[in-house]
Amino acid sequence: MPATKLRLLPLPFDEIMRRHERELLRYLLRVTANREDALDLFQETWLRAYRAYPRLRPKSRVRPWLYAIAVNLSRNRARDGARWARVFAAHGKDPSMTDGMDGSDRRSCGNDGYATVRLRELVSALPRRQREALRLRHISGLDYDEIAEIMHCSEENARANVFQAVKKLKSM
Amino acid sequence: MPNGRVAKFDSDQVNEEILDKLLHRSRPRINEALRSIRRPEAALGIAKSPLGDLLVALGRGGLLLVHYLPSDKELAALITRLRSFFDPVEDRQAVQTVGAEVKEYLAGEGASLRQKVDLSLVATAFQKRVLHKLQEVPRGAVVSYQALGALAGAPKGARAIGNAMHNNPVPIYVPCHRVIAADGRLGGYGGGRARKLQLLRSEGFALGKADEKLPDGVIWGHKGTRIFCRTNCHTTARVDRTKIMFFADPGEAKQAGLRPCKICRPS
Repeated sequence: MPATKLRLLPLPFDEIMRRHERELLRYLLRVTANREDALDLFQETWLRAYRAYPRLRPKSRVRPWLYAIAVNLSRNRARDGARWARVFAAHGKDPSMTDGMDGSDRRSCGNDGYATVRLRELVSALPRRQREALRLRHISGLDYDEIAEIMHCSEENARANVFQAVKKLKSM
Repeated sequence: MPNGRVAKFDSDQVNEEILDKLLHRSRPRINEALRSIRRPEAALGIAKSPLGDLLVALGRGGLLLVHYLPSDKELAALITRLRSFFDPVEDRQAVQTVGAEVKEYLAGEGASLRQKVDLSLVATAFQKRVLHKLQEVPRGAVVSYQALGALAGAPKGARAIGNAMHNNPVPIYVPCHRVIAADGRLGGYGGGRARKLQLLRSEGFALGKADEKLPDGVIWGHKGTRIFCRTNCHTTARVDRTKIMFFADPGEAKQAGLRPCKICRPS
């Protein structure tokens, strides 16, 4: 039986979900403004991924592909969110007050809570590509070649973006 | 900001327990949303047959794909084509029933191809129609590209028939090996001429290994008059070729509901 030939058959999609749902949700929780957004994006990412799955070539890697979808979706969301924020700000509500953690989480962080929230703000003030590269590297621990694949740039470029981001954060 | 703070960024900000809870909450929602866009499943595998290894896909609606095992590159392309409509699941056992049927068939068991055929991988309505018409060509008979074109409503579309045969996702079951050139030459075959000959031989045509043409003893059957003749009957000289089907012997022609010609008296 030339069973080897069928190694070309990709993993079932449910298996991919099982393998990556945890890290993906963790990533989304930490890049989005709040939990509902994260769950929304989480679902949207899987729906998009399922639709696009047949077009993923058998030899390409799944992980960077999934992150690329998630990164693009959260970028769109942030852009649309910024539009809404302007509307809300006009009504005297400050959307930057919301963050990924509710009260109980922040209390569990104790005194570090302030630093964490502050760091979030600093990170979100970084240029887009540096911010994205930094998050992929430090939240999800992706390799530079994976980040390069997601961001359509060279590995050196990905590395430089992360380096510049960290350098800026340290100087602040 | 000191180094420790940056490290903090990478630390356990998202509590694992909360993550579990959120995953648990979102899974049913995601599955619900996925259900409406799920592609149907199809059993995929490689089946052994006397014609060589076959890549086979079986859906719920029937046999989707039978393909003489191609090169790796073609295999990948085939699987990609299948995947845009179905979620393949490897299932050797389901697939091997197809291999067994083909084996019986080549041994001369005419009714052994029992799998229902599902033509959903056929790209165009025309090609679907052609393949449906082709299924009406019985075992023991062949038609020309030209005649099949006429049957499918495209009397000048012999080339288009060729394309439809080339894109036939279910050879053997949809008998594209029963389509030959109008002058009696056997024409090509996606799986190679040797396989075409092998199939036609098992269906009763007396063909040698190196034969290029149908044997002289074939019977001409006319679809309109429902009469069959010997090749050398003088009526065959001016007959409308788009209405002709060739039979391996008079018995096959009779079985298809035709009567013998009174001039040349076949059989």
